[in-house]
Amino acid sequence: MKFIVPIFDIKNLSFVVKGQTILSNISLEIFRSEYIAIIGPNGGGKTTLIRMLLGLEKPTSGEVKIYGKKLSNFKEWYKIGYVGQRASHVDASFPATVLDIVKMGRTSQRSIFGAFSELDNQLVRDAMLKMDILDLKDKMIGTLSGGQRQRVMIARALASKPEILILDEPNTGVDALSQKNFYALLRELNKKEGITIVFITHDIGVIADDIARLFTINQKAVVCNNPKQALSCEEMSELYGIEAHLLHVHKHEH
Amino acid sequence: MTEMLSYDFMQRAFVAGIIIAILASVSGTFVVLRRYSMISETLAHSALVGVAVGLVAGFNPLWMAVVFAIISAWLIEYLRTAFTLYSDAVLAILLSGSLAVAVIIVSLGGAFNNSLFSYLFGSILSVSSEDVATIAIFGSISLGALLLFSKEFYFIAYDEEVAKTSGIKVNLLNFLLVSVVAVIIALSIRVVGSLLIGALMIIPTIAALQFRVGFFKTVIISLVFALFSVVAGMTLSFYFSLPSGATIVLCVLFLFTVSLVANRR
Repeated sequence: MKFIVPIFDIKNLSFVVKGQTILSNISLEIFRSEYIAIIGPNGGGKTTLIRMLLGLEKPTSGEVKIYGKKLSNFKEWYKIGYVGQRASHVDASFPATVLDIVKMGRTSQRSIFGAFSELDNQLVRDAMLKMDILDLKDKMIGTLSGGQRQRVMIARALASKPEILILDEPNTGVDALSQKNFYALLRELNKKEGITIVFITHDIGVIADDIARLFTINQKAVVCNNPKQALSCEEMSELYGIEAHLLHVHKHEH
Repeated sequence: MTEMLSYDFMQRAFVAGIIIAILASVSGTFVVLRRYSMISETLAHSALVGVAVGLVAGFNPLWMAVVFAIISAWLIEYLRTAFTLYSDAVLAILLSGSLAVAVIIVSLGGAFNNSLFSYLFGSILSVSSEDVATIAIFGSISLGALLLFSKEFYFIAYDEEVAKTSGIKVNLLNFLLVSVVAVIIALSIRVVGSLLIGALMIIPTIAALQFRVGFFKTVIISLVFALFSVVAGMTLSFYFSLPSGATIVLCVLFLFTVSLVANRR
């Protein structure tokens, strides 16, 4: 078998904060062009895991390697597009047009003394075209709907020409039709452009056909290699802590 | 107007004032969007410690103000990141602490006179040629740094975490921004006064934000408002013998009120 360096190589990762274990001994690999969905209960550590992949949190123990490098030695951050949980919430008075926001995606790659180059402008335009927001470019971000804002944030991520797109439930507060279009777009980005997608979501049923693997995170990680059967996976009940939940209810009855 | 400009001191005041209007409004846009409004207020008081040291020890107060404002800016950034303190409380402590230290230094040194008063409220009479040169030199460097990294500052203000994950050196740039703001504040206290410089930084931007336009236009509106206020304020100050900082701030407040009413929804 050919040796392939995973994009993300997570080894024995643990995160403990104030004596509470958020993540315990997680080891995962994410390979090029995979579409990975991450599910798990709220407070189970999904977002913490993503934040550690992005270097926003330091693990208590264990290691994350990205393209075979330690996070501290990794410089090519433009290869990663990140859309966080609060993507569709914005400060309504922030002085930014859609174009201003999408251009942010090129900021880290522009030459230090230069304005944005022709290439930068072209990539910004391409990203807006792909997200179908070109006609909104001069609109203020605060005046857009949740679905439109979500598309703007993804366009910003795409403007840096990422190889990996990391999305942390960016679809809260977005209407059903926009969500459907959004899932179709993710599928296209993954299949046609080979962009690796790591997607934290609750809507696992809708995207089960698109994804390659499913990670369930609840302090520990379990990998489902056949996501279509994911919902009947035995580990699922364990991970979602059904037993713990029952005990909790029981306690309240007394 | 021509009579006013026939005086050397008014020429100097206008040159200094116009430079400060540009610096305060451009940096103010980032300060407001970055939610650093209270930091500028605190730095203005820390700059006063420098002025006090300068007055008592016989150094150039403006230079000392720059030094102390920068030290304070770094202290604020350090305390905010190194300790889990409420950041607004850190600012309140440094603000009143600085003022107390400044007043004690000046009292002990016997320099509690008009000279300190002019640094508190601004005075167009007191701007020397040396001050104009200092303001022009440090001002150009500060403006250069702001413009050079304006896209990064803007991105960080909008979403610090995403900026960080895109490879922007957020911590370093935060330090740079507060340092530049510290320098600009220290330079401004000659004309506007340490108690009032915060207003010249913040209010033009807040007024410009009422127009709900993109970033570039917001900076331009803020700049025009600050320039108008400084010119109008200094003119009023000259004809009615009022402290320049106060008249400038009243002009800014007037423009803010007009912007608020005109853009009411």
